[in-house]
Amino acid sequence: MEAKPVLIVDDEKNIRLTLSQALEALDLETDTAVNGEEALVRLAKKSFGLVLLDLKMPGMDGMEVLRRLRQTRPDIKVIIITAHGTIDSAVEAMKLGAVDFIQKPFAPKEIRELVTKVLNRDEIAADKARHYDEHVELAKKHINRREFDVAQEHVRQALAVDSTKPEAFNLLGALIEIRGDRLEALKQYRAALALDPSYEPAAQNVQRLVVRQQEGGQISFGKKQRPGEERR
Amino acid sequence: MASNLFIVIVGCGRLGAYLANRLSRAGHGIVVVDYRMEAFDNLSSDYSGFRVEGDAAELAVLKQAKVDKADLLIATTRDDNINLMVAQAAKAEFGVPRVLARVFEPRREDVYRRLGVETVCPTSVAAELFLKSVCQENES
Amino acid sequence: MNVLIVGGGKAVYFLCRTFLAKGHQVTLINRDPDECVQMARRLKLTVIRGDGSDPAILEEVGVQAADAVLAVTPNDQDNLAVCQLATTQYGVPRALALVNDPDNEKVFRKLGVAAFSTARTIASLIEQRTDLDEITNLIPVGEGKVNITEVRLQPTAPVVGKTLRDLALPADSLIAVVLRQGEALVPRGDTQLHAGDQLVLITLPGNHGPVLRAITGENR
Repeated sequence: MEAKPVLIVDDEKNIRLTLSQALEALDLETDTAVNGEEALVRLAKKSFGLVLLDLKMPGMDGMEVLRRLRQTRPDIKVIIITAHGTIDSAVEAMKLGAVDFIQKPFAPKEIRELVTKVLNRDEIAADKARHYDEHVELAKKHINRREFDVAQEHVRQALAVDSTKPEAFNLLGALIEIRGDRLEALKQYRAALALDPSYEPAAQNVQRLVVRQQEGGQISFGKKQRPGEERR
Repeated sequence: MASNLFIVIVGCGRLGAYLANRLSRAGHGIVVVDYRMEAFDNLSSDYSGFRVEGDAAELAVLKQAKVDKADLLIATTRDDNINLMVAQAAKAEFGVPRVLARVFEPRREDVYRRLGVETVCPTSVAAELFLKSVCQENES
Repeated sequence: MNVLIVGGGKAVYFLCRTFLAKGHQVTLINRDPDECVQMARRLKLTVIRGDGSDPAILEEVGVQAADAVLAVTPNDQDNLAVCQLATTQYGVPRALALVNDPDNEKVFRKLGVAAFSTARTIASLIEQRTDLDEITNLIPVGEGKVNITEVRLQPTAPVVGKTLRDLALPADSLIAVVLRQGEALVPRGDTQLHAGDQLVLITLPGNHGPVLRAITGENR
């Protein structure tokens, strides 16, 4: 696991506490910032491997932090923290390379799993990737780096391996939406949902595009449940 | 008690808030659910868990509170029936390994024990303690 | 039958009236004093003012003697409590709970309580886009896994003149009864369908729409 520290940016103390406590178990060094300005100051002073960023903060909001961050540290990994039911400009966020989202509330286990997955993405060898999940993770890694064409290629490979799972269709929809083709994106989200009507991220994406007429909305990328770790 | 459990507490009245504060301080991940915003004022300033505003009688609210990830659920609203429904839903629908419900009416305890719900009845508990105290006082 | 009903409001009034008309004995538990007085005045039933989920009240009305309990309050938690007490504690053979939150329907069933969701039923009525004039009595029974519907065949229906054997109905559906001029026939393969026949259909929620379309020929 990466030894680089993690920066937690959230205006709510309880979130900062929950996150530091949860990451302690992973032996990760954590720093905290209470708002966007402080986050940028800290990011300038120290080299972080990962930022946990709340989009909704008073003053400089998370999106602005993300924008500025990308100018100086294009490679840094980001996990976005969202509140339930909020419409954030996810297309915006993904254009800035943020593809991992976690919605409040979350169990400590959930954030630990997500952080582990994000930090381990680099370990996946692209040339040896065979399985569906590896391709999905590689796609996300390239989205992080805003290498959208490479990401799309991995999504296509995932679909070639297994066209019965919803995740890759959902990601494909997201990539298409970034390019601006909402109609085509909706088709992919619907395809994902048809394969698995209980796949929340696709359901949210469909609802977002169909029901909400306003610009923006959170693209839900979903998280993979590792087999054996599911509750039921 | 295992360290670092994920606990959902339904009802942020005096009991719910008290449990939330103590369990949060002990290092567990907590989500508190209540349908009144003001109820969350009962939480202490160092409460490090989450708050969900909503009616716990709605399954969607329990889902939002991530009950499916909970190691433990404690139902502490003022309504026995809500506590019992939430406790049973948590077990049957979300597979929560352990659920506890406060039940004020002692006459309900029996049924629910038979249905597999662990209950704490403040009325019975208080009655026992009072009686014990009265008997001790009489003996001495 | 001795039917115990817990709840209030206009719908409950008509529910009580329906059971009374069928010759059953009805006892009503209701929380509102004014409503209790009204019900007692207008209908021939026993009314008790109180909380139907309170064991004391249930015992007061003699719940052990009830053949069926219907919990139809606006609160799912109260309806669940009434039914669970009635069956587990007092041995009432049948209990049915109204669920207002359709998500609770499956939970109640997992807990062994028969449950009925009006929201889900009405929504499915609309979504199936059935013509409400010809098609009535959509009841989900068998724990929501089966629909029973009555359809009157118009002369233009594609199945008129065909025998049951000739019908190409989707799998897992059944025409259980044909009502013709006051007579009820249990149809067989060679039974021919006429205009004006009333069919009692059994379908699964998944094939309900297609079956209705196949029979009525309507495509809306």
